[in-house]
Amino acid sequence: MQLKQLIRIATKSLIVNRSRSFLTALGVIIGVAAVILLVSVGSGLKDYITGQMQDMGSNLIMVVPGDIDIEQTGASGGAASGAFSSIAASKLELRDAEEIERSLPQIKDTAAVVMAPGLASYKSETVSGQIIGTTQNYINIRSSEFETGSFFTQSEVNSGRKVTILGHTVAHELFGNQNPVGEKIKVGDYRYLVMGVMKEQGGQGSLTSDDKIFVPITTAQRQFGLDNISIIFTQVSSSDEVASAVPLIEAVMLKRHDEEDFTVIDQKEILSTVSSILDTLTIALGGIAAISLLVGGIGIMNIMLVSVTERTREIGLRKALGATPEVILTQFLIEAVFLSVGGGIIGILLGSGGALLLNNFIPMTVTAWSIILAFVVSAGVGIIFGIAPARRASLLSPIAALRYE
Amino acid sequence: MTKTKNILRLETVSKIYRMDGVSVKALDNVSLAIMEGEFVSIIGPSGSGKSTLMHIVGCLDTPTSGKVLLDDQEISQMTERQLAQVRNKKIGFVFQQFNLLPRTSALDNVSLPLLYNGTTSSQIAKKAAEVLGKVGLGERLDHHPNQLSGGQQQRVAIARALITDPSIIIADEPTGNLDSKSGVEVMEIFKKLHQQGRTVILVTHDDNIANKAQRIIRLKDGKVIN
Repeated sequence: MQLKQLIRIATKSLIVNRSRSFLTALGVIIGVAAVILLVSVGSGLKDYITGQMQDMGSNLIMVVPGDIDIEQTGASGGAASGAFSSIAASKLELRDAEEIERSLPQIKDTAAVVMAPGLASYKSETVSGQIIGTTQNYINIRSSEFETGSFFTQSEVNSGRKVTILGHTVAHELFGNQNPVGEKIKVGDYRYLVMGVMKEQGGQGSLTSDDKIFVPITTAQRQFGLDNISIIFTQVSSSDEVASAVPLIEAVMLKRHDEEDFTVIDQKEILSTVSSILDTLTIALGGIAAISLLVGGIGIMNIMLVSVTERTREIGLRKALGATPEVILTQFLIEAVFLSVGGGIIGILLGSGGALLLNNFIPMTVTAWSIILAFVVSAGVGIIFGIAPARRASLLSPIAALRYE
Repeated sequence: MTKTKNILRLETVSKIYRMDGVSVKALDNVSLAIMEGEFVSIIGPSGSGKSTLMHIVGCLDTPTSGKVLLDDQEISQMTERQLAQVRNKKIGFVFQQFNLLPRTSALDNVSLPLLYNGTTSSQIAKKAAEVLGKVGLGERLDHHPNQLSGGQQQRVAIARALITDPSIIIADEPTGNLDSKSGVEVMEIFKKLHQQGRTVILVTHDDNIANKAQRIIRLKDGKVIN
């Protein structure tokens, strides 16, 4: 008895009962598609967030006020955004940034940042945004590009000019299609000359420039009373220097502050914490979806058991015509495995297709491991849940089976 | 072909069924021999043991005691697996209810036995078409059972029994589900097969059908009575 013939028999009987075969496979189709979709959501989120963080610029080391222990707080996303927005009791000063840049040759650039929510208005339009006060080097550190115009210069920072660069959303809500460069907008109580508009970045919160209103840090401190530096960005030339630069920055800071009321965070550290959290999330999502795969497997067993009863005469006939118990067992096992693997393949196509489609709305990344895992598990489900019905079929007595009405 | 050779011999075969603790003797010391090329009918009222006899002769069941020799091969001690292989090679079944697979073409129905003995696909298709031609259904290879009349369905079943070129053809009430005209046609086919030298065993309760055979074995209460 050749396996090829058995596969032919099994496929024929699946095709003959095509609608039942499809409905049986549906459980596995949905299960596999769910696993792939949910894993894609998890890994898409991870790729999105890590991508956003890398968009902040490369080889970054950040100094934030307050003594934050990233490892312990765990949710580093929360810790980071807390650091970005909180006006902590402890203070960072513009001088800190200057001192770091001056005393450490490996530091390429530094940019201190103050921030506060604020309103910007032009003619009758008013939008709310985030006012960012910073120095000219900010634009070198954060890899942001301009739609039009340019960033302010050192002399504008030094003299505290009322100039501003707008994030994409702010510019478009205020000006529509008009070119804002050269126009004056009102931020707070004073008028500011618009020097440039940033390219659209997408994303949310502190990671995007879209809703920001950039002004020189000196201006921000004077006009808005933003004395507390929220964060100091520093950048080293290569990623190899990050690890060695962190303790040096800490030493410089400690010399200026008497106690450790600041935290030096390197970008990689945040990245790895964020990815490990999102990996856990992905596995949890995949695990939940895997339960539906199990249900799909039970569905296959159920239908195969019904099918064995319904096809008792057929089994009796096949045995009378010379099918051995092993052959019947193999035939029904192949049917079950084909149902689950076929369902698995359709589920993989649907899940990946759905993920690619949904990618237009939320970040999704289809991962190879989820496809392989879904395929292997669905094949396994077919074997495990196919054995009981196949055994029952193989043990039927041909005489009783032929008489069965 | 030697006309004197026994194709099948039963020696003091008994079959006892146990049902709810009560023993029922379905066959009681039956001994008989059927020669190659013979056309034999086994007749008896229901409960006479003729179905049991057919199952044992057809290698679907083994006797409780006694010996069964098919083509000089002792089958009474065989495992289920061995019996399946003997059935495939040496027995061709024709059933009262045809037992064709639904939604499956005549060609595929006839091919069934060859799927279980390692014949290649191309040979199977060729042979199936050939035997269907022999029973006069050469034009209906692709028809499904529900597109065929009762007589035609039974002819497909006969073609299926013939495809392995078996030692014995066992027909269990082959005309039981047919109108009289189709019944006559089917009996003609068995007669022709006998004339071609095949061994045919006909199991029936109908004297008119049984009389078409060369020899009649009458069963009553598990015993041969003639």
